[in-house]
Amino acid sequence: MSVLLNVTDLESGYGLVKVLVGVNLKIESGKSVVLLGVNGAGKTTLLKTIVGLIKATKGKIEFDSDDITKLKPNKRIEKGISYMSELAIFPNLTIEENLELGGYFKDKGENKKRMELMFNYFPDLRKFKNKMAGSLSGGQRKMLGVAKAFMSNPKIVIMDEPSSGLSPKFVKKVIEVVKSFHDEYKTTMFIAEQNVSFLDIAEEVYVLDMGKITFEGSVTDLKSNERLREAYFGVA
Amino acid sequence: MLSYALIGGIMYGLYFGLVGMGLNLIFGVMRMINLAHGDFIMLGAFLTYWLYYLFGFNPLIVIPISIVVFLVFGFLMYYVFVPKLLHSKDPEMLSFILFFGVSQVIEAIIILFFGNNQISVPSTIFAKLFNVSTFTLFGNTFPISWLVVSVACIVAFVLIYVYFFYTKLGYATRAIMANRHEALVSGIDVNKVSAIAFGVGIAAASLAGVMGFFMIGAAFPSMGTDLTTISFTIIVLGALGNPLGTVIGGLIYGVAIMLMQTYFSSWTNVLPYLLLIFVILIKPEGLLGKAVRNV
Ligand SMILES: Nc1ncnc2c1ncn2[C@@H]1O[C@H](COP(=O)(O)OP(=O)(O)OP(=O)(O)O)[C@@H](O)[C@H]1O
Ligand SMILES: [Mg+2]
Repeated sequence: MSVLLNVTDLESGYGLVKVLVGVNLKIESGKSVVLLGVNGAGKTTLLKTIVGLIKATKGKIEFDSDDITKLKPNKRIEKGISYMSELAIFPNLTIEENLELGGYFKDKGENKKRMELMFNYFPDLRKFKNKMAGSLSGGQRKMLGVAKAFMSNPKIVIMDEPSSGLSPKFVKKVIEVVKSFHDEYKTTMFIAEQNVSFLDIAEEVYVLDMGKITFEGSVTDLKSNERLREAYFGVA
Repeated sequence: MLSYALIGGIMYGLYFGLVGMGLNLIFGVMRMINLAHGDFIMLGAFLTYWLYYLFGFNPLIVIPISIVVFLVFGFLMYYVFVPKLLHSKDPEMLSFILFFGVSQVIEAIIILFFGNNQISVPSTIFAKLFNVSTFTLFGNTFPISWLVVSVACIVAFVLIYVYFFYTKLGYATRAIMANRHEALVSGIDVNKVSAIAFGVGIAAASLAGVMGFFMIGAAFPSMGTDLTTISFTIIVLGALGNPLGTVIGGLIYGVAIMLMQTYFSSWTNVLPYLLLIFVILIKPEGLLGKAVRNV
């Protein structure tokens, strides 16, 4: 299988604060990969560096065989990277406008078709399409975020803690939705989480700890590693 | 007397909505107060004066010219200043200093080339153009130029509304207003969209300058500072960062000014400062505003 996202020796941080130290990742096309890490491990920093919100101070990011390390965020998005931050949506825009933004650089006709698809998938969003996204409940916002992330028919969807702020019931729903999108469109997924429920849809796992990748492998491998099993599942 | 003050105040208010519009638009998009805002109003007035005396242009013809000139100017100005500012350690503080500098430079250049003089165009321009000098509303008579200015302002507001809510550029602009970083990773060319908004803000300011002769009288090189203060009052009254809230802020300001002039005229000049302090004390996010800073 071909490597879609290849990160080598990546370093970045905030001013003098170095957060990532020599991060290496190889994400294969079509795979669903979960990046596990506790609070403050550097998950958000890594994702933001990949999409270009934070400058890499060292190392290389290749996407679809192109070096994107120096590209502006919007250029990276145009190459087929979709990013769902923890905020996920724009509260001051309507639901329809949020979805349109998801396919911002696509042409109008294509966007309309995609939106129709999303509305069929999330009938609630169609019902409220002219409402401000800020009026939605936490769970609905995440659904809108997921729909927005898939609007552009991206090659990869990168998600930052889609479970944050959600009740367990909604976490399950988000997982279901992400899984069915992944299955249907074969979209490559890279999901940063601390919630192990997301391992249900992981074909590969990376563990990030204090800015370093400390584990790489399958979920089975992870569960057979005592130290990690204890850290993430709380059982020895 | 009261109905005169109220109706006149509304017309004044529409004009002041336009005065504050550009400042609020730029604040909304950049989170920066353009201290040179009033100087662009002044430049709009000087352009109007010039085109009138050199070519006999009616201010109504100056409107589109001024929009194009200042839109382009603002667009370019954005690229010269803002990306560098945003990369600095403290963009907001630095922007104050920078735009203050721009304000001083504009004023100095105008004085250098045109002298430190008051300028104006004949107040009868519109009366001559339309062959009617006054109009009557609910038994009150007003100069026809007030009507022309009010209509021009309403048209400007409608266009800004359409730009904001009915175009792709508009929702991209609103996305940037909500969260610049989030907008960047939605694929928006944030610099380009912001530069356009910046241009629209400067163009709106210049438009207030074109119309200024008929509402606030003669123009002069140092008028910018006061106008920036007034604009700031208006956008705080309305809602910081919500351009259409500016219209409400302008209306409140206009009616208040008219009532003051009618009943306590000696206090009129203090009004902007009184209003500003009053609003900041009771509702710092603006009378209509919600919290604007979302991090
Ligand atoms: N803007 C910032 N300036 C300085 N340090 C920061 C900044 N943002 C995050 N950090 C630091 O960088 C480290 C990694 O933070 P990051 O947000 O990437 O972690 P995370 O894994 O996403 O955590 P969480 O699960 O809480 O979202 C932390 O030590 C944090 O304190
Ligand atoms: Mg995080």
